[in-house]
This record gives sequence, structure tokens and C-alpha cells, in this order.
Amino acid sequence: MRRSACLATLLCLGATGAAPAGPQALGAASSAEDGQWTMPGKNYSATRYSGLAQINARNARGLRPVWTFSTGVLTGHEGQPLVVGDTMYVVTPWPNVLYAFDLSKEGYPLRWKYRPDVSQNALGVACCDAVNRGAFYSDGVVVYNLLDGHTVAVDARSGRELWKTAIADMGSGETVTMAPLVVGDRVIVGASGGEFGIYGWLKGLDLKTGQVVWTGHNMGPDADMLIHPETFKAPYPVGPDEGARSWGNDSWKTGGGPVWGWLSYDPQLDLVYYGTGNAAPYNTEQRPGDNKWTASVLARRPATGELVWAYQFTPHDGWDYDSTGAMVLADLTIAGKPTHVLVHFDKNGFAYTLDRATGKVLVAAPFAPVNWAKAVDLASGRPLVDPTKETGVSKGNVKGICPCLEGGVSPNSPPAYSPRTHLFYTSTNNLCMDYETGRVSYLRGTPFMGINSPYTSGPGGYMGSFIAWDAVRGRKVWEDKERYPNWSGALVTGGDVAFYGTLDGYFKAVDARSGAQLSKFKVGSGVVGNPITFRAPDGRQYVAVYAGIGGDWSLIAGDTRSDDPRDVRLPADFMKDIARHTSQGGMIWVFGL
Amino acid sequence: MRAAALGSAAVVAAAVLAACARTAAPPAASANAPPPAIAYESHLAAGGMRPAGGTLSNPHTGDAAVARNGALLFTTMNCDGCHGTDGSGFVAPNLGAGRWRYGGADAEVFASIYYGRPKGMPAFGGALGSEGVWTLVTYLRSLPVPNDLPTESWEQP
Repeated sequence: MRRSACLATLLCLGATGAAPAGPQALGAASSAEDGQWTMPGKNYSATRYSGLAQINARNARGLRPVWTFSTGVLTGHEGQPLVVGDTMYVVTPWPNVLYAFDLSKEGYPLRWKYRPDVSQNALGVACCDAVNRGAFYSDGVVVYNLLDGHTVAVDARSGRELWKTAIADMGSGETVTMAPLVVGDRVIVGASGGEFGIYGWLKGLDLKTGQVVWTGHNMGPDADMLIHPETFKAPYPVGPDEGARSWGNDSWKTGGGPVWGWLSYDPQLDLVYYGTGNAAPYNTEQRPGDNKWTASVLARRPATGELVWAYQFTPHDGWDYDSTGAMVLADLTIAGKPTHVLVHFDKNGFAYTLDRATGKVLVAAPFAPVNWAKAVDLASGRPLVDPTKETGVSKGNVKGICPCLEGGVSPNSPPAYSPRTHLFYTSTNNLCMDYETGRVSYLRGTPFMGINSPYTSGPGGYMGSFIAWDAVRGRKVWEDKERYPNWSGALVTGGDVAFYGTLDGYFKAVDARSGAQLSKFKVGSGVVGNPITFRAPDGRQYVAVYAGIGGDWSLIAGDTRSDDPRDVRLPADFMKDIARHTSQGGMIWVFGL
Repeated sequence: MRAAALGSAAVVAAAVLAACARTAAPPAASANAPPPAIAYESHLAAGGMRPAGGTLSNPHTGDAAVARNGALLFTTMNCDGCHGTDGSGFVAPNLGAGRWRYGGADAEVFASIYYGRPKGMPAFGGALGSEGVWTLVTYLRSLPVPNDLPTESWEQP
């Protein structure tokens, strides 16, 4: 407890400017832009906003590729590079090589590369491609996760391994794809495995030694969840041990609740925010109850892991609506009052604006076509579910549910927020699905799913878009429609330019205020990564993004044939022609003027 | 233009075939067949040695009733979670496309299921025993293999 308060004080000092600007300085609130990109979401608020403005809405038409590098890896290139000082760090999908490029030299030669030994068994345990969502830089150390369930810390200057800790158990279906978050001396990590019936958790490691300091489960009895009944305060009150009592038949023990998305942190409140994934198995009737706290946002103390509050977006998830998407922290004026909010675009198709001190829902509105629920009741925080869209083995094949289980947006595709336009920017999917579940038996280390869920294109004849969102009013400001599901993260800059990539392989710059397209370039493969921007040692601003289709779409662009029913790997059959426009191939692209 | 390109491709193909014929055909005088260790086409276990206990052969080859049981087992053991409904492929390979990462002979498919494979295929032998694994093999071998896989075209013929 004392330690936690001390940590908060230190970070508060940093935020008020008493500490020199550096990688630990907080981007969203700080006015000085250092031109680096040291953590996945750019800053603790995860805004993916950079103040750099050399590239702006007037000159972005002149963007052109200036450097590329093949990673030699064919699986999905999610995540983003880091830029610290004059070095760019890139983590590849499995086998999780870490490259350090020297940005001060022509051609960006490597300073070093770090090649850990990662079990290839992980390829068969990862549900949805061998992805990695990136590294985190803190205090001279690059920290990231290996697919086979390890966290490693690497000296940022020499590339030497400082420590390597086993955090996850592949034998029970756990792999690790998420990017860690470092707060003070804690490295915070979680595991994938919602499709394997894991007992989902978040862990805090010591940055110096790699030792696991705490483990907080995402469901189960209060003790396992690190809930102290006297201090835990859910915005919509629950009883003790709700994480176990809201699961019939003790089903919480294999209930999923993975952590494979993004973490953010508020130093004033000293809270780490993260979303949990789907409940397992997909057949809801094997787990009666709300299944807390899957498909939820949880707020924990970084030092101790203590759970302070939790809010469930999708109770009794029957649609694979993970809530692992980013929790973006911003200060907005709501009903005339400056409010510290958390904004989250959920797979379930609603965008939520929460009070991030309490978890109370302030605004909830659909940002993509939604029909599983009519609205979110602000008094109870619960969605008003359409009973005809409820799923389960006794319901048979439930048709025409929107969004599909890829989500109104993929949690893999984090949004951006500009404090200049006060708008959020996100990719979306416009897809619907049929949903038929089967009764499944838990067999440790094998999939615990039981689902057949073909997709269809949503209303309007397009399958994705890039939108600007007003989180105060809960409405779309503009929308750039895309032919295919849009699967990249967003970036927005002080030059009022927003950037994203498309599944058919275009990298685009658009005017952040109007959505008007400023430039586009066809990169080597579909984009499922997240653009970043940085100022290089030459003083110029660049934008970097990975190409390399994969993740859930790995299945349509590899050694398969997209038009043959026997050779189509779900879920590709609704957009067979994507294979005409892109194929596998991981590459880093850097653009400049 | 297109015809010319096809023509030159045919010439190249013929040359390659001729080259293969020259190198692949052993001299008639030689009685030395290639040693079994390099018999790539059959992916024999253990450098050409059959597994101890004799040749593996499927006791249920072509038995439709066993294949139906295998289909049930395929779901019950959560195989479909990775290999897709009806083995049509998901994050793990398609098992009905007629293309096999570790060989498609009965004994090879048996070995893959019984002992597991290094890219994440668990070993099911302990859970299923030989009879269970052969039941799965019988099912997988019953899947119809498409005959037009190599080409995918988006142009109108």
C-alpha cells in the first residue's frame, strides 16, 4: 500500500514537469514533443497522438516510401515499432526476433538483433496466428513477450538479454501476444487463450529481476482476483466473489478471459486499465450467469495488482465479443464539466465513454452496425439484448448477428485521439455473422470453442471503414469507407493528419478534420499493424508501419485457395477476392516527404 | 503475346523434364538403388526404418462406419478447434486438401496424431490409443480430395 502511494507520487512529479522530459514523460499531457515513440500507444494514455507537425494536411500529398526492411516472417505483423533516441526497435511475429536499427546512418543498418529460442509448439497453441503486438521501452530496457509464454528484458544499447521469465503455460493453452506495459518497476503482462479455456490473468513482474510479484485473475473468487472487499468498488455494485458466483457449475475455472490487447495507465489515479477477452467455451449454456469479469475493463494498482474497479461491457458473452481493445484516456468536457474519461471501442459495436475514476458509463453508442443489443442502459450499465440474437447450443443456428465476432473493430486495431481535434480515430469492420455453437468437452491444452460462425458483409456494401468519433456526443463525425474489413491501428498527429492501412495493402494519410484522402501507397502486403511517427536524427519527421497480412486473416492469404470450399480456411469465404490483392510478407515501411 | 509466353514456358518445361530424366534415371548397369534414408517421397520414419513392431497398416481402410465414428471423434477431441469444421483448415492445416505437411500415407497420418508434431500438434496417442487414432485416420482418408487445387484464377475464362 505504501509502495503504491510512493509510486504514484513519483509519477505525478514527472507529469507536472518536475522531471526532465524523457521516455517516461507522459505524452498526452505534455506539450513538448520529443519525437520518440517509446511505448505501444505512444504514451500512458494510449492516444497514439504525436505532436510532430512537419508532415501536415497541406503537404502530406508528397509522402513517399523512403526505407523498407523485410522481416523474413510471413505471419501477421500486428503491433508497431518503437523509436528511442536514434534507434528503432522492431519485434517480429514468432520467432519473435528483436531488431535494433541505427537511424543515424544511411540505410538504417542494424545495431544488433536478438534471437530468442521460442518453442515452435507455440504455433499450434496460438489461436489466431503467431502475432506479437510489440515492445515497451523503459529506463534503458526493451521488454516484450514471446509467443511460447515468456517475458524478456533486453538491454536497449547492447541487445544483451537481462532476464527471461516464464509467465504462461502452453500446456493449458496459454500463449502471449500482447505488448507489456511498464509502470515504475512493474512489467505488466497477460496471456492469450480464450479459445483454450484458460483461467485468465494479469501479472506484475519486477523490471529489474523479472520475478513475478503478483498474479491477479480475471475471474474466480475475490482472493484470486486480488479484490479487497473493503476497497473494491464496482460502478454497478456486485456481491462478494462475483467472479466465481456469476458462473454456473464452477465454469470460471476454464472460463477464458484472456488479456491480449492493450494496457493504459493514469498516474494521477495510479490505475492500470485493461480489457479482458471472451468467456469460454462459446456455448453459453455451459457457463450460465454473467461470467464476470470476461468482456470487461479492469482497473488495477500496478504495484500490487489490487483490483480497484471493474465494468463488464458484455455480460454472458454469447458472441465472442472480447473487450481487449485499447482503453484510451482523455480529458473531455461532458455536460459542461471537464471529465477524466476512458474511451473504448468494443468488439460488440458500442463505443463507451467511462468515468475512469469510477468506471461509470457516461456515453455508449454504436459506432458500427449493431443488432445484438438495442442500446446500453446507463442506469445499470447493461446492454439491452435482443433476445432473438442470444446464442447457445439449444438456440441452434442464430442468423444475422451484427457485428460479427471479428468485432465492430478488432481489438488488434487500436484507436487514436487528437487533443487538437478532440476526436477519436478508429478502423471499423462492417460484418455480420451466423452463430452456431456445440457442446464441447474441456481437454486441457486443446481448443475449448465449439463454434461455426460464417460471416457476411454488413449493410451498405462495404466491409470496413476508418472513422472519426466524437466521444462526448457518441456520434460519427466522418467515415472513409473501405472495401474490406479495416484491420490497422490509427495514428494522428499535430499536423492534423490521420494514418491507417488497409487489408488489401494500402497505406493512407487522411485529413484528421475532414477525412479527405491526402495520400495512399500500395505496400507489399495487407496492413494489420499500427502506424507510428518519429523524428529521426536528421531532424525530419517520418511515419512507419508494418505490412504483413495475418492475425485472423492469415488464413486467406497463405497456401490456401480462396475459392475452393475444401481449401478455404474460415473465415475467408465471404471475401474470396482479397487474395487477388494481397499475399503474405512481413515488411517495415517508412514514409517521409 | 500470351501465346508466345506460353510457348516459351513449354520449351522451358520440356528442357527441365529432359534434365530431370538425365539425372534421375540410374545408370542401367548400376544395381545400387538409392539407400532408403533418402527416400523422400514416402517420408519414412527413422531414416527408412519402419517403427518397431512392424509395418503400420490401417485395420479399417475404407470402412464407412468407422469413418463416421472418426468424424464424431474429430469433434469430441476438439480437433476441429484448430483444423476447422470437417478438417477444412483453420489455424492448423487443412486435412482434406490432399496436401500433407508430414506425409499423407496411413502410417504417417497415424504417427502425426499418435506422437504429435513439432509445430503444435499435440500427441493424442495416450488419450486415444491405437484404435482411436486409426478411427481418426480412417475418417481423414475418407474426406474427398479436390482435383483442381493448383490454379486459382480471377479472370473470366
